[in-house]
Amino acid sequence: MFEWLAPARSVADFLDAGGWVLWTVLFAGVLMWTLIVERWLWFLRAYPQARAHASTLWQQRPDRRDWASRRVRAAMIGRASQSMSATLPLIRTLIAACPMLGLLGTVTGMIEVFDVMALTGTGDAQAMAAGVSRATVPTMAGMIVGISGLLPMHRLNGRVRGESERFGELLEAGSGE
Amino acid sequence: MTGVMCRALTVLCLMGFCSALFAQAPDADFDALLQELRESAQDSATLNREREARFVEQKQQREALMREAEAKLASARKKAAAAKSRYDTQQAELLAARKKLDDGVGELGQVYSTLRSAAGELRQQAQGSLVSAQFPQGESLLGTLADGRRLPRLAQIEAFQLWFLRELRAQGEVDGFDAAVVATDGERSQQRVTRVGPFTAFTEAGYLVRGDDGALQLLPRQPAPGLHGLIDDFVEAPAGESTAILIDPTRGELLKIESEKPRLFERLGQGGAVGYLILTIGAVGLLLAMLQSAWLTRGAVRVQGQLARIEQPDAGNPLGRVMLAVDQADGDDPELLELKLSEAVVREAPRLERFQGLLRLFVAVAPLLGLLGTVTGMILTFQAITVFGTNDPKLMAGGISQALVTTVLGLVVAIPLLFLNSLLQTRSRAIVQILDEQSALALARRLDRRSGASDV
Repeated sequence: MFEWLAPARSVADFLDAGGWVLWTVLFAGVLMWTLIVERWLWFLRAYPQARAHASTLWQQRPDRRDWASRRVRAAMIGRASQSMSATLPLIRTLIAACPMLGLLGTVTGMIEVFDVMALTGTGDAQAMAAGVSRATVPTMAGMIVGISGLLPMHRLNGRVRGESERFGELLEAGSGE
Repeated sequence: MTGVMCRALTVLCLMGFCSALFAQAPDADFDALLQELRESAQDSATLNREREARFVEQKQQREALMREAEAKLASARKKAAAAKSRYDTQQAELLAARKKLDDGVGELGQVYSTLRSAAGELRQQAQGSLVSAQFPQGESLLGTLADGRRLPRLAQIEAFQLWFLRELRAQGEVDGFDAAVVATDGERSQQRVTRVGPFTAFTEAGYLVRGDDGALQLLPRQPAPGLHGLIDDFVEAPAGESTAILIDPTRGELLKIESEKPRLFERLGQGGAVGYLILTIGAVGLLLAMLQSAWLTRGAVRVQGQLARIEQPDAGNPLGRVMLAVDQADGDDPELLELKLSEAVVREAPRLERFQGLLRLFVAVAPLLGLLGTVTGMILTFQAITVFGTNDPKLMAGGISQALVTTVLGLVVAIPLLFLNSLLQTRSRAIVQILDEQSALALARRLDRRSGASDV
């Protein structure tokens, strides 16, 4: 009756094997990817509007060549670049934190193993197995989440750089007309 | 030379004196001496005869004793031989009787040995079982069955069967009974115990395990409060309603292990001095980050307020101060104005970015301190190995847990500080951005106004 739940159940088993650290890694991963997707959607939807708006504002200026206009242009580029990279520091922090979380999981798992050793001696490998999987699974998950974020992060950085430059060119071109 | 001559002279004189003494002894005295000698010789001969007679008599007595002893030995030997023959015959009789018994037991012998081994196995189980804490008489029955040299009687076998059935039945039921419970201070008292199959037993005070002496003991440290709450739920639940209750499938072992696990604060204590240092760094970092975050929030709110009233700069907020600096500047030279402007922004930046460097330092230092703790913990471990050898992993575990706890603390401190620092950075950068933009706009407006005014 609940066969379709089997994959979910195996995911739940996996999370149980990893302990609370794995839940944290999962949370960090979900948060990171949400932010990355949000950035992509922002570039897709919100950014063209913002760019068009800035362009109109620029066109409305009577004189686009004097010192004041140059300052206004710099401020507009600055604001655009700021809004482009709004969540990038958080994403970068999450990428940096994920392997650290994995390491945390390793160490807490090792503590569990040594707890078991202190109580039952080294004889019982099965008793230690829970701690060992708690030590290894979060490390792996932390690495995977961290590495999976690296490429999108790189692309986003490049995009912000490129778009900032293009934004400047747009305003420049506007002034040329 | 004269000394030697003198001594020779003295010797010669003495010799002359002696010869004179012999020559003077009279003949009458000599006869008397002879007489005396003869008498004494006769006396000694009589004495010798008497002694000989005594010796002979003694020898005869000894010989008589010897004969008597030999007679005794012979009779004892005869007795021993009789006893040996009797022992042999009885041994043979015993063997015959035993053979007869074996023949008589026949197939039943296997039944008895099976019964004995089964009773032995079950006794081991029953010793730690919560069910036999409720029915203690079962253990003595199993004891007599497992140890007994005699053949079990029919009544005992029947009792065993009944016990087994009751055990089976009891494993599947939740039951309440009164039993002596040893509290944590060692005091015994009669209490109402609830038992869940053979798995767990508890009073309202907490979970019980069976001690080495077979008595029910209150666990010295109860498992996590959530698990203890299950007891309260169970007690308060109305009859007929089902509640969740803790089950220990190892019949007490897991509960014992759980109660021996160190609590959070003991865990922190295991980290030692390095652990406390890391915690201090974490606490200081957290405090600074909170303060700065609150300060930035206040600053951001004021800057927003200033944005709404852009024409009246107020010295109480960063943006107002920057705009005042622009307003107060004299002259129309745009280059000079721009310089003033960037100076004003640079003046504001350090206050906005306060503590960020320190926090970055903390983020870097906390895992390093954790590593330090790891190494000191390993040193402790190796000292333990040097002293006690590797035989007992429990002795090594102390140092190892210090090694790991400090690493955990380092990471636990570093990760949140990393996020807090990133938060502070984002917020301060946003404010600086606003300052840059708005002051530039204000400057532009001012220049526009001037040029407009000069036009008019």
